[in-house]
Amino acid sequence: MRILIADDEPLSLRMLERTLQRAGYEVTAVRNGRSAVEELCRPEGPRLALLDWMMPELDGPAVCREVRSQRGQRYVHLVLLTSKNSKQDVVIGLESGADDYLIKPFDPEELKARLHSGRRILQLEDNLLEAREEMRYKATHDALTSLLNRGTIVELLARELTRTRRENGCTIAVLGDLDHFKLVNDTHGHLVGDEVLREVARRLLGSVRSYDFVGRYGGEEFLLVLNNCDASKSIDRAEEIRNAVCRSPITTTQGSLSITVSVGVIASRDRDLETVEEFLCEVDRALYSAKTAGRNCSRLANVGV
Amino acid sequence: MSEVNRLVRNDALLEKFVDLPDLLARVENDRELLTELFGMFQEEFPGLHDALHDAIGVGNLPEGARAAHVLKGMLANMSMKQAATMAAGIESAACVGDGLGIPEALAAFDSEMAALSAAVDAYIAGK
Repeated sequence: MRILIADDEPLSLRMLERTLQRAGYEVTAVRNGRSAVEELCRPEGPRLALLDWMMPELDGPAVCREVRSQRGQRYVHLVLLTSKNSKQDVVIGLESGADDYLIKPFDPEELKARLHSGRRILQLEDNLLEAREEMRYKATHDALTSLLNRGTIVELLARELTRTRRENGCTIAVLGDLDHFKLVNDTHGHLVGDEVLREVARRLLGSVRSYDFVGRYGGEEFLLVLNNCDASKSIDRAEEIRNAVCRSPITTTQGSLSITVSVGVIASRDRDLETVEEFLCEVDRALYSAKTAGRNCSRLANVGV
Repeated sequence: MSEVNRLVRNDALLEKFVDLPDLLARVENDRELLTELFGMFQEEFPGLHDALHDAIGVGNLPEGARAAHVLKGMLANMSMKQAATMAAGIESAACVGDGLGIPEALAAFDSEMAALSAAVDAYIAGK
């Protein structure tokens, strides 16, 4: 693990460096507080630090305050190491943001034990962040297809509509519904239906740009949000996406299945709709129109109505 | 002379000034590092010592206290306990503005450090 040591006294710095290297740490040594802040605030900077109290430019407590004031940084475990040992000094040090406090001259065994305790805290933080990220992913993604879930894709559509209205741009929404999907489930079983949904999701993702959004809107319905588009090309983009889904049969454990999709499409520039609900309602009408036109085709929401 | 005898004789040069068992424990018995640290000490000490004298000489007690504090830390780190205590005395006197008590304490400190520095030189030469 990487550790930063900051001390303007070269003997102390060298002694710490050697002790920590022997204990398996990768050591970054600096001689003043400003350099310590720079190192610790780098995105991939060390997450453990031993800071002397008295240093040029910034003292140890000031380093603690600066590091703590940086937002968006991963937690850094800060240990003040100093010969200042009055109760008042300890309180000042800890209130500046230090996690621990060691009195000089240090005892190597105590130093290593305290750092080990710091590492446990950092590990705990990593576990919490990992769990939070996992929960965030589960809350925003569809478990079967790994696409964005309905709540998230609708939220993103609302955000994009607001942005394009402000920037006088154009957002296209594409709503696709697999044709006769119930028949797939009824004939081949739900597991095969799931295989189809996963493959359709993969094909949809492959048909859009990296900054577009694809979500599972319902059982076999998919909503795509395409940013910064040319409104006059809406129907062409819808057709490209439809073709990407039905271009070739989908291979499942029960054999190959030909799958088609009906598509409704709407461009924000064509319509002066107030809410995302109105926008979705219009693209849903367009999808219905594609279904009634015989399926496996795309329809543009009525312009100017 | 055996290696053990040489080490014992060399360590004896320092025992009056340095708590060697304490220092060896702190460097985890790394004698190579110990020699390196003594070498660094001999390089660093004169500048810090001069800074202390300069500050006291012009009556700048806050700066004198700071210089004494740095010296105290370095000496304590090297387990030079008697010298560290003397530096702490100078720091305390400078902190409370006891300008009168400082010259005597400084003279005693200088004398201790001259003997200590000679012992360290002899130790390094004995390696």
